Amino acid sequence: MRIPTLRTLFGKRASAASPPKDRSSVRVGIPKVLNIWSTHQFWVGFLTALGIAPENIVFSSDTSEEQYREYGKGRGTVDCCYPVKCMSGHYGELIFGQKKKIDVLLSPMIYSLPSFLRGHVLDTLTCTRVMAGPENIKAGFLKERDVFAENGIRYVSPFVSLGEPEKVPKQLYLALKDVLDLTEEETARAVEAGYRALEAFNQKMRQKSREILTWCARHERPCILVLARPYHMDPGIGHEIEAELQAHGFPILWMQYFPTDDDLMHWLFGEEIRAGRIKSPFDISDVWPSSYSSNTNEILWGAKVAARCPWVTCVIRFSSYECGMDQPTYTPTQKIVEASGTLYFKFGDLDATKPAGSIKIRVETIVHYVEKYSRDIIRRKLAALPPHCPLLEEAPSTSESASLAA
Amino acid sequence: METIQRINHYTAYRPRPFTREERATVTILFGGLTWKHERLIQGVMHNLGYKAQPLPNITRADLDAGKELIDVGACCPTIFTTGNLANFLKSEMAALGREEVVKRYVFLTAGACGPCRFGQYHESYTMALDGLGLRDFRLFLLAQNQLDQGATHGGGLEINLPLSLGLVWAILCADVLTDLEYMTRPYEIVPGETDRVLRESIEYLYDVFRNRPQEKLRGGKLKVFAWHVLTDYFTDALRDVRKRWDAIRVDRLRVKPKVKITGEFWLQTHEGDGNYNIKRWLEQEGAEVIPPPIAVWLDYLLHSPITSEEWKGAERNRKKIALIRTLEHIYHFVYNRFRKALGNLPYELPDQEELKHLAKPYYHYELRGGEGHMLVGKALYAYRHKKAHMICELSPYSCMPNTMSIGAMANVLGRYPDLLYAPIEVKGDAEVHALSRCQMILTEAKRRAHAEFEDALAKTGLTLEAIRRYEERHPEVQRSTYRIPHYGYAGTAANYVMHLARKMR
Repeated sequence: MRIPTLRTLFGKRASAASPPKDRSSVRVGIPKVLNIWSTHQFWVGFLTALGIAPENIVFSSDTSEEQYREYGKGRGTVDCCYPVKCMSGHYGELIFGQKKKIDVLLSPMIYSLPSFLRGHVLDTLTCTRVMAGPENIKAGFLKERDVFAENGIRYVSPFVSLGEPEKVPKQLYLALKDVLDLTEEETARAVEAGYRALEAFNQKMRQKSREILTWCARHERPCILVLARPYHMDPGIGHEIEAELQAHGFPILWMQYFPTDDDLMHWLFGEEIRAGRIKSPFDISDVWPSSYSSNTNEILWGAKVAARCPWVTCVIRFSSYECGMDQPTYTPTQKIVEASGTLYFKFGDLDATKPAGSIKIRVETIVHYVEKYSRDIIRRKLAALPPHCPLLEEAPSTSESASLAA
Repeated sequence: METIQRINHYTAYRPRPFTREERATVTILFGGLTWKHERLIQGVMHNLGYKAQPLPNITRADLDAGKELIDVGACCPTIFTTGNLANFLKSEMAALGREEVVKRYVFLTAGACGPCRFGQYHESYTMALDGLGLRDFRLFLLAQNQLDQGATHGGGLEINLPLSLGLVWAILCADVLTDLEYMTRPYEIVPGETDRVLRESIEYLYDVFRNRPQEKLRGGKLKVFAWHVLTDYFTDALRDVRKRWDAIRVDRLRVKPKVKITGEFWLQTHEGDGNYNIKRWLEQEGAEVIPPPIAVWLDYLLHSPITSEEWKGAERNRKKIALIRTLEHIYHFVYNRFRKALGNLPYELPDQEELKHLAKPYYHYELRGGEGHMLVGKALYAYRHKKAHMICELSPYSCMPNTMSIGAMANVLGRYPDLLYAPIEVKGDAEVHALSRCQMILTEAKRRAHAEFEDALAKTGLTLEAIRRYEERHPEVQRSTYRIPHYGYAGTAANYVMHLARKMR
């Protein structure tokens, strides 16, 4: 007969006595800013696994000047880049602009990212402003009085190293345990669910990009690669410049979701690995030795991919005004891309206002060059790569081809 | 192989090796600190047989040169330091020719600062080298947090304990002397005396570092470390320095606001055009400046790993955490010995745990990059302990980490509205704007210093005449090295009154 010890006795009772907590009515608001643009699925997966109803996970709207004017004006505490500055509007919208009030405002301080380059680079840290942005923005809502408390909202800003999954359960548990009445075990399970959701989303997006690239390869058509930070996907930050180009019939790929399948990577980088120039397709030490910053690393990697992938005949680079992380990369990125004759256009100093006129003129210029030179660029880059492109050897998906062609 | 040759892909700058054989003929260039720190570092390098030379002090012309050579949007420390190197190399090329410059010099700079672009400064340097047609000039990075990195880049430079400890000890000595300088000059009775004695002291200490006994630098690492920690070699030298400072007479009845300088590492440390000579300007405007010691930054680097080790499991990493704490204690022990050798006049190092604790509600201590939580922590530390009337925070325009903590300071000021805080954004070419902004806050700081002084006089019942009479009878109180304890006032004059009142009792 097994003798129950205190530990097993209490352990059994505790688990039997703690039914899943009902958090379905808790409403959590998340400002849709900065690296939330590349990690939103983690947060959705995490909160859903904790029992928060999906309809109660509220993201703020896309950034807009109206949003800032209505909800963020007077809350700024320092002049800085627009992607951080606009956060006041997002906070304000979640506090004042919801028909159904939120209970918790969750604005994580994301210190590091689960980048696909992790393990191949020195680190995958976020920009210093990205990680510290919430500390700066919250000051605007606390400096005179506690606006969160006045509106019955719990403000919570966990410091979280998403690039080091083993740290995350403890970080989120300590930050959220009182707010959401968590246990360590369920936090750990929810974190796992969050990573699974993020990975599934990223895979899906990469697969979509591969389909686009395959279509380009089969039809010898060019595509345009966007090199930018995740938040440039926000129409209020990146001003949808890539959409203007897409309207001219050029498929657009974002570097963040470029396919990373082994076959394609080894086709593009295999010769250089064999020559000992790099250790893996994701090694960027040949072009960027100070590889600490996650988004910067990915931009540099994207530039390398663009320089090699035949159907990427043009790169458009987005950079926000006063971006200190982008600044040292301007010239290296351009040189990497242009080394293979790939076209490179930079939209720098992006700010709150959409410069519609200048975008239109530049888009026309880009279209002209892409149409004129793409055929030569594809031919030249193909000649520099081994035969048997994996994209051309896989069975075509008729539905995808038809939809893309359309 | 054929495929790779068809497209010549871009590669980053890679310096050719600096070999051991070249040590006798190649000069290591370095910079980025004050002339005092750099001169003592030069002594350390000379002591170990290296040819070493600091770059000339930064000037406004360096900003212009830097702007021409690197990508737009860089922060001013990057532009200044890049331009500084470029201008030096240009002048040397004009004198010696390009090939000689490439052969004769290498440049050594700090790298690897995590998320801040400080760790990417070298990209700007290499871009400048490209612009100057000096792609084959050699530039090397030195990690800030490793004392023993071994022979690097061909063996020309060996980053070992004798070098690293020498550098740290030189920095600490320059720090304590800088404290002495800034607490003396505003009160000196004979103008220029402080600067003269300071120059003599630095030259004397240069010789001390240059002549470190070679036999103490050989042998095991533990032996070298123990000698540096326990020897009287450096403290005796500092006692000699103190004797030189004894001769400087000061008038501490000049009522001056105390201004604590904080900010981005390079800008707060620098003394020159790079930060509009703001420390000297503040003195001219009637303030006493509390300079930021580099020692605090080194302490921060030393302390930071404790948090990450605790995260990994305090129990499992008990030994490692204990080792770091022991090193911290040794570090403070050494610094305090140096302070003591100068009569405990230099300021003590703030407790890193206290800085962390003070900043906690406003700025998370694990947010790395720049000075992290320290800017908020140091401002509150000075305020709470009445160490200064005003904080002057120097940050480069568009500095990424510091703009965030400046923003967070709005929350601090909401809770402590009487904390005088002047965040100065430095571009390098907007002097009037920056100084006038500082002056606005300084006016209030002056008012508070005077109010404190009047309060001290009222409390003690002393008059200026009575104090002057006492000074005549006791000239030792007018020595620059006479220590005035802290009586709860920020200002020197008020504390001086309180001190003399006790002495007169």
